[in-house]
Amino acid sequence: MSTTQLRLSAEEQFAHELDALKAADDGIRPRNWQMSPQSVVTYLMGGETKNGVKISPKYIGNQRLIEIAVATLATDRALLLYGVPGTGKSWVSEHLAAAISGNSGLIVQGTAGTSEEAIRYAWNYAKLLSQGPTREAMVESPLMWAMQEGKTMRIEELTRIPSDVQDTLITILSEKALPLPELRSQVNAEKGFNVIATANNKDKGVNELSSALKRRFNTVVLPPPATMDEEVSIVQQRVVSLGQSLELPNPTPALQEVRRVVTVFRELRNGLTEDGSSKLKSPSGTLSTAEAISVVNHGLTMAGYFGGGDLQAADLAAGLLGAVVKDPVQDKVIWEEYLETIVRERDGWQDVYRACRELVG
Amino acid sequence: MSTLKIFGIRHHGPGSAQSLRNALATYSPDCILIEGPPEADALLTHVADAGMKPPIALLLYAKDTPKHASFYPFAAFSPEWQALQYGVEQNVKTQFMDLPVAFRFAADLAESAEEPAKTEEPSAEDVDPLAPTEAPVPTVRQDPLSWLAHAAGYTDGERWWEQLVEERGADEDVFAAIFEAMSALREVADADMPPEIWEQRREAYMRKTIRAARKQGFARIAVVCGAWHAPVLQLDSGNAPKIQDDNALLKGLPKAKVAATWIPWTTSRLSRASGYGAGINSPGWYSHLWRYQDSGNLTLASRWLTRVARLLRAEGLDASSAQVIDGVRLAQTLSAMRGRATIGIDALDEAAYAVFANGNPKVLQLISAKLTIGNRLGTVSSAVPTTPLQKDVAASQKRLRMQVSATHKELVLDLRKPNDLARSQLLHRLRLLNIHWGATQQSRGKGTFKETWMLGWQPEFEVQVIEAGRYGQTLAQASGAFVVEKSNAAQNLAELTALLDDTLLADLPDATELLVQRIRDRAAQDADVQHLMQALPSLAHVLRYGNVRTQHQADVAALETVVNGIFTRICIGLPNACRSIADDAAETLFLHLQQIHSAVKLLQNEQHLVQWLATLDQLCAIDSVHALLQGRATKILFDEAQRTSPEVAHQLGLALSDPEITRVTAWLDGFFKNSGILLMHDDVLFDVLDSWFETISEDKFQHALPLIRRTFSSFETGERHNIGRKASGQQRKTQQPKFELDPTRGQRVLDHIAVLLGQMPAATEVA
Repeated sequence: MSTTQLRLSAEEQFAHELDALKAADDGIRPRNWQMSPQSVVTYLMGGETKNGVKISPKYIGNQRLIEIAVATLATDRALLLYGVPGTGKSWVSEHLAAAISGNSGLIVQGTAGTSEEAIRYAWNYAKLLSQGPTREAMVESPLMWAMQEGKTMRIEELTRIPSDVQDTLITILSEKALPLPELRSQVNAEKGFNVIATANNKDKGVNELSSALKRRFNTVVLPPPATMDEEVSIVQQRVVSLGQSLELPNPTPALQEVRRVVTVFRELRNGLTEDGSSKLKSPSGTLSTAEAISVVNHGLTMAGYFGGGDLQAADLAAGLLGAVVKDPVQDKVIWEEYLETIVRERDGWQDVYRACRELVG
Repeated sequence: MSTLKIFGIRHHGPGSAQSLRNALATYSPDCILIEGPPEADALLTHVADAGMKPPIALLLYAKDTPKHASFYPFAAFSPEWQALQYGVEQNVKTQFMDLPVAFRFAADLAESAEEPAKTEEPSAEDVDPLAPTEAPVPTVRQDPLSWLAHAAGYTDGERWWEQLVEERGADEDVFAAIFEAMSALREVADADMPPEIWEQRREAYMRKTIRAARKQGFARIAVVCGAWHAPVLQLDSGNAPKIQDDNALLKGLPKAKVAATWIPWTTSRLSRASGYGAGINSPGWYSHLWRYQDSGNLTLASRWLTRVARLLRAEGLDASSAQVIDGVRLAQTLSAMRGRATIGIDALDEAAYAVFANGNPKVLQLISAKLTIGNRLGTVSSAVPTTPLQKDVAASQKRLRMQVSATHKELVLDLRKPNDLARSQLLHRLRLLNIHWGATQQSRGKGTFKETWMLGWQPEFEVQVIEAGRYGQTLAQASGAFVVEKSNAAQNLAELTALLDDTLLADLPDATELLVQRIRDRAAQDADVQHLMQALPSLAHVLRYGNVRTQHQADVAALETVVNGIFTRICIGLPNACRSIADDAAETLFLHLQQIHSAVKLLQNEQHLVQWLATLDQLCAIDSVHALLQGRATKILFDEAQRTSPEVAHQLGLALSDPEITRVTAWLDGFFKNSGILLMHDDVLFDVLDSWFETISEDKFQHALPLIRRTFSSFETGERHNIGRKASGQQRKTQQPKFELDPTRGQRVLDHIAVLLGQMPAATEVA
């Protein structure tokens, strides 16, 4: 597909996979779903359709978690993806919506300024003044569309929304209806309507969910990748696909470099070297897999435009420094300690050490 | 020719148990042979007794050393237990057929004679003899069916089995299928690595038992054994091992004397997590399956999640019925998505995690500990033969209405009530025997009549009770004899006094008398004053508080004599012990000095105090006594108003004039340690010290500074600040104005106090 769009949505990028899954699907489809729950799991976890089309894995990790998530949506319970930043919550939510409803674009982006109108409906005041309260004067929210069309809608960063606004969702999730008191009517949700919310538990400025709202969600916690290999393959795969959409000169990173970046991230995140021999201090940032992806991506760009084309340690150094040192004083000390005690001593890591050392000064 | 059917089962599997019951009913055998120790055959008559409520275990122990013990746990859902029940109900000859544990014990005993340390913990084989022996491929050998289930993509062997069994319908086919599967597995495993020698012996003995049963003329023999052994026990197959080979394997093995009994067991002990496991992950879930096996799968799941919700509510967590409904639906959808016909514990756990836990793994841990594993203690019928000591302990528990439970529970005793006092004595007696049924807790609220215990019964206690049986027939006898043995082995006075403390709590008059005697003898012989000083505080404590609980005034009187004797010896020996000693020895004595002083205060004996203060006076007067101790002695005398402030200031001045700077700092340390408040408020002392600092040479000051700093670091921060301010001159000479007493206002207070004390206001003079 040739396009000038910076980033394609999931249903556009993986249209052929979705089509193949739909064509080969013989499971029972819940009403208004594009495919059976089993096929949704296959779409997320990767595999092969019955007619031999390869499906790339979108989520690398525990299949059981995805099964719980899909089964939750199939029982018309709302799904809450919960966890530390950068573990792929929004990514999973986008692909779930794409596979189930064929539309991952029904989004409410949660911020501290998200109002009740953004979740329910607002008014076109010009029309409201001239026509009075009518459906035409109403500005519908993505939630309202999703209800009417029986689709999955997404709420990003639910915990950033102020608590009183969050609670708007309670009635909608339990009654599956949105009252329109001004029109003396209500919108009833079609079968297939559901909500996927993502939320951080470890960040500044989050609003805890009320227990009434919590009870209306099934919670799935997405953990950081369990093993080194899992994380390397996540980074590798994402960098390759990002490279494609950004049209970078050299989209294939050397596996060795990816491995080194992931090692640095894992070691600092866990506060322990991969061989378990020495303890480390952890910096203040979360050092998520998503950040590792952007470090490698950044390195590739540097190598492609300014370097020799091959990804070198020097190209990664700046990205690493930026990802690790979030607090200019404390994190810098931690980073230097790590460089001096671990990186310097490690066989074959001299280039990384030199490149990083140069930047730290 | 008789027929022989082998039922290869999964130890502790409800599915196995149900299929086995059905299969036995169809086959109607005239003899049932079960994998288990033949020494316990005599106990099989008890399985149908009303009081037998699984989980219970067969306990087999070496008669001479009960420490050598084996447990054979049974749950209601164990196929072996169901086979035993069937045998008793149908009046069929039922017996165990495994290798007698006597052989194994004999081998272990011989080994432990060489390596005495090993007897402490039972070895892996002792722990779980019902599971096939440890081998290089433990997963296959221990639970081969689970292993097959995992190969088929199930996390729960029981679910896999259930589907295999329940969906096939005809039960006997299942046992035939298992037999085939196991034959294939064993062929590969045995070719890979031949079974370990004990496993070979066990299987040889099982075959021997089967042959013997045939000889006795039984026509329909049923063999119930772990699936792993099934293939090698089929004598009718072509390649069955020969009689001679089996006999050769069993020839000449030494035998130990073994006794057997039934004991209560806990569900948590059945689980793999606890180390004494019978190799199953979720006994609580299995008993749920067994109990509600006749209800449909959905009811089973709903019941389970309802129990989860009730548990969470009991723990003060949010759990509504709406959530239960959502959980059941989620579990159902999950199972359907995975193509399972039934809802398994894995789906239920995942549903509970998503619905109830809000991402908190602790909730799942709670469910696992309380429900999936559980902590129920079984009961054993009182008709089961036990040792006299076991009977005595059980009778006492019953008489004192103390519930035996595996779950930890708090028990608060009021020692003024006779029943509570007896309970406390029972617990203390058990504790003396190292059976820690209860652990003493810090009691809330003051008072020596209150005692708080945390109770939790563990199945091994039964073994320890049996072991303690060699000390006596009743608990009082046994713990008394144990104390006597321990006192013989005691190395020093402190050990004896600690033992006396425990013995008094356990109310053992004979042992107490003997211990007091021992302590007196030992105190008389002991030349080391420090040992005496170590012993005195706990004796003083016993003397002061012990008589709150003991009724035996004779004990107290005897103890008083001992304490008096020890105290006098300390007073005589102390000055010499404090002479010409090194700094670290002085530190130790410093602590003792403090403790003895508190002991003297505790005893509230006027004579003792006089004697003690005289001794301290002596310490101050002797030059060669370590300065640290002199300092502290002066401090105590000052506190007890034996010295006036100017007198102490004079002594301080003397100490400061010592040319040896380390002696000066040691004296200061002894005097001021932990009492900075003295320097804050006593201006006389402060001035002496302050002027010393002003006159001291720079060289000496540098020497003294670190040592003085050590003393000052024992002061509170506030005290240090105040002293600092005082020294820098801010508070210098700004004493509080002289406090003048106002007799009329004082009299009013005194009148009120008198009323409070129940006296009429009197014309008391203000001092």
